[in-house]
Amino acid sequence: MQTKPTTFHFLLFIVSGLLLATLSLVWWNSSRQPQPIELIPTLTGETEYCLTCHADLPEISASHPVETFGCVSCHGGERLALNADLAHSTMRGGGNPSALSVVETSCGGSNCHSGSEADDRHHIQRVTTSVQSTYAGAISNILFTFGAQPDLTARFGIAAITDENSKTGITALQAFDPLNANHPSVQKFGEECLTCHLHAEPREGEAFARETGCAACHTTGEHNLTTAIPYTQCNACHNRGNYDLRTMTFVERTDHPTQRIDDYYQPIAQFTQCEYTLDCVDCHTRSEVMGDGDIHNDQASIEYVQCKTCHGALEELPLTKTLTDPNDIAFTLAFLNPVVDLKLGDTILITEKGEPLWNTKVLPDGTYEMIGKATKQYFTFKPVMGTACEQKPDEQESHYCHECHAVEK
Amino acid sequence: MRPSFFHHLHPPTIPTEQARWRHTLGAGGTAVFLMLILGMTGILEMFYYIPTPEEAALSVQTITYHVPFGGFIRNLHYWSAQLLLIVSAVHLLRVVFTAAYKSPRRFNYLLGLALFILAILLDFTGYILRWDVDICYPLLTGTNLLKTVPFIGDFLHRLAIGGGEACTNGLLRMYVWHIFGLTLPVIILGIWHAFRVRRDGGIAVPPPQVRTDNARISRNELVRREVLAMFIVGIALILLSIFVPAPIAAAMTEGTTLAGEAKAPWFFLWVQEMLKWGDPFIFGILLPLGILALIALIPYIFPKPADSDIGKWFPKSNRLAQITIGLVSFIVILLTLLANAN
Repeated sequence: MQTKPTTFHFLLFIVSGLLLATLSLVWWNSSRQPQPIELIPTLTGETEYCLTCHADLPEISASHPVETFGCVSCHGGERLALNADLAHSTMRGGGNPSALSVVETSCGGSNCHSGSEADDRHHIQRVTTSVQSTYAGAISNILFTFGAQPDLTARFGIAAITDENSKTGITALQAFDPLNANHPSVQKFGEECLTCHLHAEPREGEAFARETGCAACHTTGEHNLTTAIPYTQCNACHNRGNYDLRTMTFVERTDHPTQRIDDYYQPIAQFTQCEYTLDCVDCHTRSEVMGDGDIHNDQASIEYVQCKTCHGALEELPLTKTLTDPNDIAFTLAFLNPVVDLKLGDTILITEKGEPLWNTKVLPDGTYEMIGKATKQYFTFKPVMGTACEQKPDEQESHYCHECHAVEK
Repeated sequence: MRPSFFHHLHPPTIPTEQARWRHTLGAGGTAVFLMLILGMTGILEMFYYIPTPEEAALSVQTITYHVPFGGFIRNLHYWSAQLLLIVSAVHLLRVVFTAAYKSPRRFNYLLGLALFILAILLDFTGYILRWDVDICYPLLTGTNLLKTVPFIGDFLHRLAIGGGEACTNGLLRMYVWHIFGLTLPVIILGIWHAFRVRRDGGIAVPPPQVRTDNARISRNELVRREVLAMFIVGIALILLSIFVPAPIAAAMTEGTTLAGEAKAPWFFLWVQEMLKWGDPFIFGILLPLGILALIALIPYIFPKPADSDIGKWFPKSNRLAQITIGLVSFIVILLTLLANAN
């Protein structure tokens, strides 16, 4: 049977119309795709299209301009893909490339924040060996308390870590596995109390929001990295509740702490005025907070700044240093967080270990000034020498100072 | 009026019976159309595809997302390739179910089968050319299977990927196999296959003396039907290509070669399922080859269909062949579904 030409022509007409319609659908589909936004970061020279969707993100920091770094050198991901699922499928650490599981390839890539101690590039080594990351002191305390180890020497950390050149004598920590513990309280500790270190996801609740890894401290808002870290960032861990050692549980606070002095998690704690006015990072140094590259036994063995560091004692002034080297680390730190205009020839305070308190300055009249790193507030203060203070020279820890100088709550 | 080139490729008239949809299902013609699309879209893709391990997956992403209509062309290529396998299988089933393989078409049956195998290998190599994290496991499994062949295993392996590690070194071989090594035989065997269709007397129908319907249609009518069929398949392809994008995954990098799915492409899932049964050579090579040999031998060792049965659906005289190919299809589909469910 032949198809009648008229029937065929009609069919062909209809089918051709449909073919044209589907072809225009192709055109329509392609025209509704977003216009790709190309970026060729100077550091990599490799085209990426992340800005097609993420053009409205704030610049992460002045030190990481997007024109230089782009997105992929830190975040990973499929740089050419315009499909969100594919583009994001290989991102390092999900949205947080500073998570310690991937930090070596992101922040540590190209020897940016990973490298030799001599070049002061060993940031990741410092962080991963620091007590903030190992939680070694808390673990050894618990193990000792419940008879699982004979002394308070740290043997375990959150993750296994070695440092053969450790100056502290502790060259390695094994990974702590609470499931291997015999005592139920140690197991409970493992379940309840390991949400504080840098590997751990924070507990739920806005007041405790933080990231993991480097960003736990350095990310204070949407897509930012900063060294101007306010005390609230520290409080995401350090003031978010208390331990109940009887039940070995963590009791999360339900209020939103607003009064720094009254709302601290340990009501019996004492503070001098500077301790609740300044930010933590105004006094506590990089090596205290971020580690110094060695494995430390516990918090007490890395924390060393005392009142005396800035104020001196009755018979000695605080240590100072006149900046004569333009490559002094103080200039770098002041450049990263430009709250002070540090110049060659300025005299600043330094700690007992020689770390610069670069936001301080010795004034001509022998008093000192300090600019808040996070608040940019201006403070002046005096040395103890020449005052009526009667503190014995060998009793200089802060708790001795608190006896007179703690504020009344 | 003298026929145009395109008309001239067709015989002046053919028996009406041969040209019925319900007789041919249009499978062979659709396969030719799909191969033309594959050739054209493939050439377009070659303008951007870079067959080096570092650049391959990125160039596929470039084609997909940045070349104007590149994603659409790639989707067309992908969907034509998948449909080609289905249409070829349907074509094979039609030929067996209508006893069309009987002499003098026995040799052309083998040519067609060879084309089907080539199409499967082309589909596999094309899949490998994505060179993203999802391809390494199937490539490794497939090429390691070759190694299990006694005596010539290493030679076959070298032939396929050129030595070294499959997922780091195999790309260039896969590329050349895809573009030349398999495509050229398809072109040659394809033309031969079509030539033999005409030489063997067109699409299988009973010989004139036992034919009931002696009506014929002209080449003009035949071309009309072909054009209509091409348009309809074209519309289906375009719609598929707009709404169902071809699979793509993250580029392989050092250490992520096996990060993707440990799953064979869909047309080899049945083999993957059989590999669970034991020895890879027996279940991954011998058994599939045995099944292939069984299908290839249908025109030669199975009871010969009666002349009057040729071109009729499910005639009694080749029941055994129907049951055999039906059973093979059923088992392959079942294994595929099983592998997909796991």
